[in-house]
Amino acid sequence: MPSVSTLAILSIGLPWLGAVAVWLARDRRPALQHALAVIFALAGGAAAVAMIPVRAEANVLGFPLGGAFGPVTFLPDGLAVFLAVVATVIGSLAVIFSVDYMRGERQLGRYYAYVLFFIGAMVGLVLSSNLLLVFVFWEITALCSYALISFYNDDPKAVAAGIKALIMTQVGGVGLLAGALFLYAYQGSYDIPTFLATAGQLPANVLSLMAFGFLVAAAAKSAQFPFQTWLPDAMEAPTPVSALIHAATMVNAGVYLLARFYPAFEAVPGWRLAVIVVGAVTALMAAVMALVANDLKRVLAHSTVSQLGYMVYAIGAGGVFASQFHLLSHAVFKALLFLSAGAVIHAVHTRDMREMGGLGRQMPVVRTVMIIGALGLAGIPIVNGFWSKELVLEVGHEGVPAWAWAVMLFGAGLTALYTLRFVTMVFFGGARGKAHVHDAGLAMKVALVPLALGTLTTWLLAGDFAHFLGRALPEAHGGHGVESTGALLTQIATAPATAVALVVVALGLCCWWQREKLAGAARGLGGVATMATNNFGFEAINRGVVNLTQGAAESLRSTQPGILNWNVMAILVGLVVVLAILALGGA
Amino acid sequence: MTFSLPVLVSVAVLGLVGIGLAGLLVTRNLIKVVVGLQVIVKGGMLAMVLAGKLSGQLQTGAALALTVIVADTIVSVVALAFAVQVRRQFGTLDIQALSTLRR
Amino acid sequence: MFDLLIVAATLVCALQAIRSPRLLMSALWLASASALTALMMYRLGAPEVAVIELSVGAGLVTVLFVFAINIAGEEPSVELKALVPWPLAWAAALGAIALGAWMAIPGLRPEATLLETVPFARVVWENRALDVLLQVVLIIGGVLAVLGLLSTGSAHAQKENQ
Repeated sequence: MPSVSTLAILSIGLPWLGAVAVWLARDRRPALQHALAVIFALAGGAAAVAMIPVRAEANVLGFPLGGAFGPVTFLPDGLAVFLAVVATVIGSLAVIFSVDYMRGERQLGRYYAYVLFFIGAMVGLVLSSNLLLVFVFWEITALCSYALISFYNDDPKAVAAGIKALIMTQVGGVGLLAGALFLYAYQGSYDIPTFLATAGQLPANVLSLMAFGFLVAAAAKSAQFPFQTWLPDAMEAPTPVSALIHAATMVNAGVYLLARFYPAFEAVPGWRLAVIVVGAVTALMAAVMALVANDLKRVLAHSTVSQLGYMVYAIGAGGVFASQFHLLSHAVFKALLFLSAGAVIHAVHTRDMREMGGLGRQMPVVRTVMIIGALGLAGIPIVNGFWSKELVLEVGHEGVPAWAWAVMLFGAGLTALYTLRFVTMVFFGGARGKAHVHDAGLAMKVALVPLALGTLTTWLLAGDFAHFLGRALPEAHGGHGVESTGALLTQIATAPATAVALVVVALGLCCWWQREKLAGAARGLGGVATMATNNFGFEAINRGVVNLTQGAAESLRSTQPGILNWNVMAILVGLVVVLAILALGGA
Repeated sequence: MTFSLPVLVSVAVLGLVGIGLAGLLVTRNLIKVVVGLQVIVKGGMLAMVLAGKLSGQLQTGAALALTVIVADTIVSVVALAFAVQVRRQFGTLDIQALSTLRR
Repeated sequence: MFDLLIVAATLVCALQAIRSPRLLMSALWLASASALTALMMYRLGAPEVAVIELSVGAGLVTVLFVFAINIAGEEPSVELKALVPWPLAWAAALGAIALGAWMAIPGLRPEATLLETVPFARVVWENRALDVLLQVVLIIGGVLAVLGLLSTGSAHAQKENQ
């Protein structure tokens, strides 16, 4: 069994090697590209899974670099290995799914290279214990996300969506970089475990700046309020990309950041409240927007944002384990929902749900797995989403302002409502579309079935999961620990919060079932619906920012004539001016 | 009069960089541009080694100069491949004719 | 005295490399400038780097230039009119050089005693391991770039023929 550091390097390096290999295989041989991508993705997954039994709680040396930056170190503790396994395993399933979905597409080399590059970078992000290295991997994931959103680069909508995503996540990246630089300035190194242990020694205002800077970075990356506009537009990407990047991995980077640094920032005044507010507002807003959207992938995107709001809220309330448990459930069932949506879209060639309907008869396998995923999303008992969402609601009951908890509860009801809505619109009722559709292909089924099984069963691992996360959780540092799966499940099942939540969920389901009778109420809320479609005004702000940036760039165009000689002349003149200033002023 | 070695080498460094920059200013041929870049980089390399010697860390200065050699060789390789392709596609190496930026 | 000659010869070779109207002569003048630079580095006390510069700069790069010039072909021998008038160019360059010389040369510190006793190879592979990694990445990137540049011609031609 190779050492932990070798495994860490392998789980980052194998996908990257795969990216180069797929690119070298050339677009003339797509079968080879598909095969190579799957092989390297699975190899990366194997390396990550192999780290599960051998994880370490302290820094593990990657390799020494000498000089200014210190050695490359990894911290493969429970939290990091968990997210690495999620990234590589769900990444492998998404790559397997792409074999069918992207059949016949052009420029497969570019697609697979970026997907594999992304998987490696995501693993690097969670494993690194050097804050500057985390920032580097953060930016690499942003780059891959941009490149994959604009993959269909002759479609102007896709390109615009990619630029928008890039600008918004870069704004967040500034927050992360600022925090990293502050850390270096005050502690002389970028080491994360050292920082977590000695966070109290930083001056209070610096710590607050870092805390809020990280919150901004996490909110931008996870598409939380006020940065939630980029994720729905990012649905222009091919669906396996949406499943992988925008549901199961990259958007979890923000939640990971908050979870990892929670021990350092929990004492900062106002930080936990800010996190709770961000999470609650996002959860509610996104749930309302999911209710009025007609594009299948947009509904799923809004629901991703909403569920991430639940995770962020849980962290703010102090329940880091609850948020990670919900992250696990969400990664599995959301990837399942996106991939089955991809199967539907691939068959019907449209994303608009108003043109679907009655597909259940023609696509039985996809209907079954999607219903399983929907059960998870809505939080129906027995499926994993139920346990994790109830845990979030229960943890978020104490120490939290009452209105926030009420908002989350209402959001749970809305979640059930929109979930039932989209399942009904797609699979049941009369057929509104015209095409004759086929069920999912073999590769798609191979990807979908494990995810469905996962949705049904991951909650059974709750106790082991808690032990696995171990010391990474603040609960281990003196809160109430989690003893075993049975105890946890009993605790969830018997908490009063659970009963209340179940009632609300049932109410949500009833609202849909009786929707004809409630049509009058729906019309009355029409104003809210219009605001929701326009993203509550944030879209306008966003467009303003993008226009401002591009306008400034256009007006500076005249300084770039494009002639080498004049450019070098400008350099030389600048050099002379600087030297003259130095000569006259300094010497 | 005799000059010491550091003074002579600094003159060489500055001279090389200046000549290279002047070359970049007056040429219109893409391959001449690469030649000018090479001249500048020779000056840079010498400066590294000189700085290493004067601060007592000669070997570190030489190691940095090694990196510069590798980097600049790769740059010239890629630039020349580029020039060859440009010649094939557009038929000319004149940078004025090649520039397609709107003004 | 010998050093003065080397420096003067290097500057002359560089000047000729820039001014020469024929590309092939330019490449040859560049080769001699590289060789003289290598000699200067040896005189400064870094023989390993001097050898590397000699073989890479004076050898490899010159061969590359000759190769590329042969494939790309020579331009018409009439030198095209420059976009920046040459008196201005030389004035700017010489001005920068003079300023730099005036600032730097009086302040040159005397030669310090050698602080390091580590041989060159150990320094490169241990202290500057990051640089070696960077060089490897650069080389791989360069090779991939050249492969990409030189093959798109043939691939596109094939696609158009189909």
